[in-house]
Amino acid sequence: MAEERPAKWGLVVDLDRCTGCNACIAACSMENNVPFVGEDEVAYGRALYWIRTQRYWEGEYPAVTPTFQPVMCQQCGNAPCEPVCPVYASVHSEEEQINLAVYNRCVGTRYCANNCPYFARVFNWFDYELPEPMRSYLNPDVTVRRRGVMEKCTFCVQRIVRGRQKARAEGRELRDGEIQPACVQACPAEALVFGDLSDPESRVSQLARSQRRYHLLEELGTLPRVTYLKGVGNHGG
Amino acid sequence: MQVKKPWWQSGGVRIALALVLLILFGGAVSGIYLSQIPPEQPIAFPHKTHVALGAQCTYCHPAAAWGPNAGLPGISKCWGCHQQVQKKSPELEKLAGYVQRNEPIPWVPVAIQPDFVKFNHQPHVQAGIACETCHGPVSQMTVALPQPRQNMGWCLDCHQRMRPNDFVRLSDCATCHY
Repeated sequence: MAEERPAKWGLVVDLDRCTGCNACIAACSMENNVPFVGEDEVAYGRALYWIRTQRYWEGEYPAVTPTFQPVMCQQCGNAPCEPVCPVYASVHSEEEQINLAVYNRCVGTRYCANNCPYFARVFNWFDYELPEPMRSYLNPDVTVRRRGVMEKCTFCVQRIVRGRQKARAEGRELRDGEIQPACVQACPAEALVFGDLSDPESRVSQLARSQRRYHLLEELGTLPRVTYLKGVGNHGG
Repeated sequence: MQVKKPWWQSGGVRIALALVLLILFGGAVSGIYLSQIPPEQPIAFPHKTHVALGAQCTYCHPAAAWGPNAGLPGISKCWGCHQQVQKKSPELEKLAGYVQRNEPIPWVPVAIQPDFVKFNHQPHVQAGIACETCHGPVSQMTVALPQPRQNMGWCLDCHQRMRPNDFVRLSDCATCHY
């Protein structure tokens, strides 16, 4: 069996490439059984999205240009959500080096979401029933969360676990780019790149060393695993 | 002169307390009992007979070698052998009925995990864990029996015992819950 080393999963978001098409959001919701809550609930601030696109307008009318910034859980190395959970439902995975939301432990105090500077955690305020044929769309690899449970982006940990198990079964190491979260897979502009940051040769490591790199709210010292590459030109609009 | 009894010595309170304890105890006993009886199967499949004849577990449950679910055999798998075997048992007449109507056999899964537990057979089979370790002495069962006390502590206990050097990975929440 191939020698295994713990991976340090990371994501790079190239804002130069992001067109704000929201394909990542649709892919994420379908992969992770994220319910669609409807317009009214979103207006109440109870939207359920694991990734969202923040849109900014630059310039004065008529010369305005939009810029887009996909924001998901930053999988902080020093996560503010973890120490506040009274039931250890928000724990750090030693193996995957990401933050986990353990649904079956969560009692719904919502401390973690209130302490998250990125607003990455969302809460199931109700049970969102799916009409009958739609239940066939649910992904059997992901738990369907019930009412009163916190949830967030997991870097599609089900795909990480499945990919590693597949590599072990075939007796080889994981290849760079073999594991892709749903958002990365769906991105038509290849603005999102996922991979192992502990391997200096992986594509994500090379991009994360780019001079355009920055982290969201870097000054808070949360050590995010998601690196943003700043857009440098005047695009779109 | 009658001495006034404290409230907890009065007959009514004691009877009420006894009733509450009895209900709780009865509920616990029936709950444990009901969760341990095997579910009704469409065909009372005798595992004992098949194992004694030398059938491997993975002959009828082959997906254990490559997938999360071991799978339950369909009519073509059963009929592959049984169309050549004399039908002496009334259970085999039921099987012949399913084959004639070309219906799937509605087996009831016995070894099930809750929705938030993602168990995969493949790594366990690859690590050389015998089926009996988790599924009990199937070679002595007729229909498969649910195994009691298969909880998270039981999983972690085995992980720690079998792979102490790999326990960081095997005790990670994301190994089974996502």
